[in-house]
Amino acid sequence: MTRTMRLARRPANSLLLATFLFVSSACTEPRTPVEFEFVATWNGEAIRCDSDPVRLSDLRFYVSNIVITDLAGREHDLALTANSWQQENVALVDLENGEQACRNGTKPVHAVVTGTSTAAEVGAVRFTVGVPFEQNHANPLLAEAPLGDAAMHWHWRAGYKFLRAGIETGTDSFWIHLGSTGCGGTVQNISACSSQNRVAVVLPEFSPDLNLVELRLSELFRDTDLNDGERGDCSSGPAEAQCAAPFAALGLAFGHAAISSQSVFGVLR
Amino acid sequence: MKAMVALLAAVVAIVFLLVWQTTRSSEFDWHLPTDIPPPLVPANNPMTDVKVELGRLLFYDTRLSGNVSMSCESCHIQALAFTDGKSQSVGSTGEIHPRSSMSLVNTAYASRLTWANPLLDRLEDQALTPLLGERPIEMGMGGREAEIGALLQSDELYNELTSAAFPGDENPFSVLNAVRSLAAFVRSINSYNSSYDRYLAGDSDALTPAAERGMQLFFSERVECFHCHGGFNFTDSTTHANTNVDRVGFHNNGLYNLNESGAYPADNTGLYDMTGKARDMGRFKAPSLRNIAVTGPYMHDGSIATLQEVIEHYQRGGRLIEEGPNRGDGRLSPFRSEFVSGFELEDGEAEDLLAFLSSLTDESVLTNERWSNPQRP
Repeated sequence: MTRTMRLARRPANSLLLATFLFVSSACTEPRTPVEFEFVATWNGEAIRCDSDPVRLSDLRFYVSNIVITDLAGREHDLALTANSWQQENVALVDLENGEQACRNGTKPVHAVVTGTSTAAEVGAVRFTVGVPFEQNHANPLLAEAPLGDAAMHWHWRAGYKFLRAGIETGTDSFWIHLGSTGCGGTVQNISACSSQNRVAVVLPEFSPDLNLVELRLSELFRDTDLNDGERGDCSSGPAEAQCAAPFAALGLAFGHAAISSQSVFGVLR
Repeated sequence: MKAMVALLAAVVAIVFLLVWQTTRSSEFDWHLPTDIPPPLVPANNPMTDVKVELGRLLFYDTRLSGNVSMSCESCHIQALAFTDGKSQSVGSTGEIHPRSSMSLVNTAYASRLTWANPLLDRLEDQALTPLLGERPIEMGMGGREAEIGALLQSDELYNELTSAAFPGDENPFSVLNAVRSLAAFVRSINSYNSSYDRYLAGDSDALTPAAERGMQLFFSERVECFHCHGGFNFTDSTTHANTNVDRVGFHNNGLYNLNESGAYPADNTGLYDMTGKARDMGRFKAPSLRNIAVTGPYMHDGSIATLQEVIEHYQRGGRLIEEGPNRGDGRLSPFRSEFVSGFELEDGEAEDLLAFLSSLTDESVLTNERWSNPQRP
């Protein structure tokens, strides 16, 4: 479905990469530009704010601490390019366009994360869905982009919504806001959080030139009843029974369920 | 030499400015009786008259809601001691809040804000939730916060007041300064002019005999209201400028006991929602009892209509709900506070307690123009 887009992007990438390598100095380890694209799917098909019968109502999330494994098995940090969507170690991915079912969202989208690393080639990628602790509990009204977005912040829980994802189908809908809970201290001085709720994603055999990072919403909501005629939601609260299913898909502990591995993020080949 | 003079002049000017700023801030008149300590004020948001005035205008401005239908006042009406008279508040888009609106009177002294949030200790941070929160939607400005800064800039009066309230701020027209102003206004609302206060000040006729008897009961070990509702604000979650003690109390008062597990309705589990610890199920902050006679319905979810029923609730030591999804006997909850163990009352004693609680109403705070709607044209 997005193959043409991928193929179209590839030559440009290679050209950029070649140019960069050429101008890089030989005495420092050369930094290679890396970019990878996120796509949301429902049962393998791209899902948008106007898809049918299941459509997006929201999809925004923070990605942080991206680490690339090169073909020799060495790990390299990805330094994100600073712009209105990214700062050094955290990026906001926004896959909703503010239209149709996403009317409460924002028009701009940000599907491609960009940065540089010392890896000559990418063999695998791992990253965290969430905002690192130090940045998570700073004052959002003083934060640099992309952490200055109040819609991504939970003022009463004193941290960010790491992920906000929602779908609609007929009269049914469900959304999840994921973030750290059980935090100690006070707003200006949070000590630690008993439920950090950061999602660890590992993508082995991932090539940014050939593959996309797939966010499988059908997997996130695999055990959520979308035919009960109810508008359900999960705000990560410990008493919210409806959080159990999406938390399990994200590999997060909830209630008596322990941490497992997530199945929502994967590689689209 | 010239440079030295210029430098000296600059230093003098800076010192003068600093002293002037500090003095001006410390000179803010709280209108407090001499026996009430001043409240704590965050160092980065000193009280000034102009900031309080800006906050007052914002508090009553419906342009702070997404559909221009409600202001802070919609849920915090002065005549009701800044509550709304509803069991549960209703947001700008019609969503019903799980909780009942809390009084804003004397919140400058609240060590924690809202019903059960151990993290929230500053009004500046709290104000963001009703403005921007989504679950439920209250004012409905989430994702539209830039419009608040734009309003401060475009409205002529706001522009003038914001510039005056935040001198030296490179861009004073921000959400941050809007919530600082709202916080300053709310912090200025205090009430120490009830019959009870006049009684304490030496006017022995200020309390009726019934209220005086009720006061004895209130502070007795038999009825023991004061364990949670003690101190000059009648709540154990009180702090002020002359103390280093962070006093915070959350209590389960036996309102619910679902499935005999002690559970509360899932949308209102209190402190448990914030900590995830089993022992925190159904624990809420003991609210101030000042002006309590005008702030019904009562409890975090407005589930008790009258003060008389509140007394009956504590007399029984927990609530019995016989039918429906919330059925259960709160008296048997494993999480019930040891201070809610029930008590016996003689004939007339409930009326005495009611008379005392009514003596905590301060008519002046319900009407004082300092906090009333400025009625902008």
